[in-house]
Amino acid sequence: MADVKTYLREWAMPHVLCPGCAHGIVMRGFLAAIDQLQLDQDKVAVVAGIGCSSRIVGYIDFCTLHGTHGRAPAFASGLKLARPDLHVMVITGDGDGLAIGGNHLIHAARRNIDITVMLLNNSIYGMTGGQAAPTTPEGAVASTTPAGNTEPNFDACKLMIGAGASFVARVLAANPIEMSKVIADGVRHPGFSFIEIISDCPEYYGRYNKVGGGADMLTWMARRDAGVAVPLSEKKFVEHVPSSAVPLGMTTGVLERDIRPVFTGVRRQEPL
Amino acid sequence: MSEARLVQGNEACARGALAAGCTFYGGYPITPSSEIAEHMVRLLPDAGGVFVQMEDEIASLAAVIGASLAGSKAMTATSGPGFSLMQEHIGFATMAEVPCVVVDVMRGGPSTGLPTSPSQGDVMQARWGTHGDHPAIVLAPSSVGEVFDLTVRAFNLAERFRTPVILIYDEVIGHTRESVRLPDQVEIIDRVRPAPDSVDFRPKAAGPNGVPPLPAFGDGHRFHVTGLSHDERGFPTDDGAVAGALLSRIHSKVADHEDEISAAETFMLDDAEVAFFAYGIVGRSAREAVLRVREAGIKAGLIRPTTLWPFPGRQVAVAAKQVDKVIVAEMNLGQLIGEVERAAAGQAEVVGHLRADGEPITPSELVGAVTAAGGGN
Amino acid sequence: MSRNEIRIAGAGGQGVVTAGRILAEAAILSGSNATHNQVYGPQSRGGASRSDVVIAGDEIGFPLADDIDLLVALSGEAFARYRPEVAAGGRVIVDSRCAPEAGDEVTSDFAVVDTARAVSGGQLVTGVVALGVLQAYAGLVDADALSDAVARRVPAKHREMNLEALRAGMELVNGAPA
Repeated sequence: MADVKTYLREWAMPHVLCPGCAHGIVMRGFLAAIDQLQLDQDKVAVVAGIGCSSRIVGYIDFCTLHGTHGRAPAFASGLKLARPDLHVMVITGDGDGLAIGGNHLIHAARRNIDITVMLLNNSIYGMTGGQAAPTTPEGAVASTTPAGNTEPNFDACKLMIGAGASFVARVLAANPIEMSKVIADGVRHPGFSFIEIISDCPEYYGRYNKVGGGADMLTWMARRDAGVAVPLSEKKFVEHVPSSAVPLGMTTGVLERDIRPVFTGVRRQEPL
Repeated sequence: MSEARLVQGNEACARGALAAGCTFYGGYPITPSSEIAEHMVRLLPDAGGVFVQMEDEIASLAAVIGASLAGSKAMTATSGPGFSLMQEHIGFATMAEVPCVVVDVMRGGPSTGLPTSPSQGDVMQARWGTHGDHPAIVLAPSSVGEVFDLTVRAFNLAERFRTPVILIYDEVIGHTRESVRLPDQVEIIDRVRPAPDSVDFRPKAAGPNGVPPLPAFGDGHRFHVTGLSHDERGFPTDDGAVAGALLSRIHSKVADHEDEISAAETFMLDDAEVAFFAYGIVGRSAREAVLRVREAGIKAGLIRPTTLWPFPGRQVAVAAKQVDKVIVAEMNLGQLIGEVERAAAGQAEVVGHLRADGEPITPSELVGAVTAAGGGN
Repeated sequence: MSRNEIRIAGAGGQGVVTAGRILAEAAILSGSNATHNQVYGPQSRGGASRSDVVIAGDEIGFPLADDIDLLVALSGEAFARYRPEVAAGGRVIVDSRCAPEAGDEVTSDFAVVDTARAVSGGQLVTGVVALGVLQAYAGLVDADALSDAVARRVPAKHREMNLEALRAGMELVNGAPA
């Protein structure tokens, strides 16, 4: 891999992410994917909304659009339709993409527009101080659910499959090599690709739910992978994670892949 | 010039956009603006452009902003309820300085209101609808031909000042068909772009007229765009001095060119003792009323702004010194009348003829208003 | 010619808006200036609908009817609502089905709706029959221009039927040719 600094705006550092936050791992994994793909750096446009994950676009050296809360898929759609030669990607969070921006996300998926959405799911609103998100598991503590969340949470991948996304995957920040491969796969996919990246928030989620710091959360995250957690928990030689705060056994990997007509807007069919 | 034919206001808007070089339309259906979208979807493909119907008005303007950053001239159109939703991105486009055109065909409000009836209830929202301090450029045509001309002007101002421009007109103007000859050629202004090989490009460093050059995404300049307060590199900052300077520059680039952007047509004002102040369809009623009351010997005139914001206060102040009375006629419960009062500064009596029941203000009504007001006396 | 304000009003689905548009287009083909405006409710079918046409020899200031010179009312509701807005010296054409029992000297009634039904089997050409009545009654535009405007505006497969509706409307005023 080329030096990751090739793709960084070092002048914009230091970044705003907290110590121990896995978003940094995701940022590096994303840049590794771009490097694997050998894309023209000038032709990569990354669009983000509002939140911790969306701040990543400030530090990566592409054409970057830090838009409004939840609307990144809509900005990205306009960009892609107007300039089909660009590689358009979205970095969003679970609150940004699934709460305020849920409508934009499902419609981008339905259209099968050729953009890649990376949704960094840390199960909480980090930027605003640890409030419950649509991904906060039932029972989990957040600043707005001090006695434990009483609402069910979204399964982002099932939502996207239901909305018609033609490529859907889930990867873990704890498994960055696999993450980069899947992101590259998603970018190569013709049509809408959605990658849920399980990230974390040690500062709020970890602290409120007594999961521990950044390293502890990565371990905890890895144990939640169905490929790891279920066999391990059955053998009972590892500590069982508390069921109140965690859905046991997330399926990771590519969950949906299909080739469908790609939406390019209403435009003249023949080249000009 | 093409042959004279019957053209609807909303069609003239779409044709004006095409003439101005618009190549992207993103919108969401809403009465009474939908004909704009229905014309754009037919006209754009042949002009090499692209049309998309988005999931709502928030997404529509987001897509327009994305397309504009990709180098396209882009627009959306809506009516009151959708215009409310667009305020979020009018603010974003103002802050990030992304040229775009937003058309609001006004219907009765608030809320769902009177979907198929005219109003002028959004003129203050067009000025102050999005949060925070910001400039606004808002144009208001009175006829089908003027819808075409001012749509072109809206694009030119948006490109020149790197800012959203709002074109606002009532349902009557949108749905009226008039016999017009649309020009084949119009004057077009394009955004200033940086030199392709410029090093140390600063996307928010002021260029000519306080407006930073704007490259397109994908053309070689890698830059950051954000709605956060930012420095000349376009990067977020919470430095108050930098944030304050940015806001001042965004304000000044419009304020410093106010005389050039503001426009008002006057009619029979030279010897007038009473003047109407009216815009949109009411401007047409008032002009007709002026002619009718002059037949009865009342010296009336008209100030008809075609730019609502920046408010043409200078023209109003000049008129106020000359006439005894200004009758502000608008299809709302009193929005621009406050601006007229401020500009008139006590030099003339300012009275309102206000109506917000979904019916247009007619010439007969205004003849009555002048007569009731005792002509110019 | 001086300014003429025509309002065609009826129910949604009668082709009132199209009729107004055809009249305005015929006026332009006749060398006059014209404007057209429509007022309608949420319904595409049923509900109240109206079309204002202003025809003048020179520039048209206010593009809507303000003092109606000619009202064409194709429903009872339209007649009741707009009859009071007809200017002094104005005239009214009303469908026979909704003509007032006590007539007045400015109102003439013609079997517009029944004629449309006879021509088309439905109500869609009602507006065009009304245009025929209006043309024979007031002659605001050139007759050939009106036929031309009808032919241009309606779908090709309905052209003959609409031209027949226009003729039938004119015959309601002039009587059938011998």
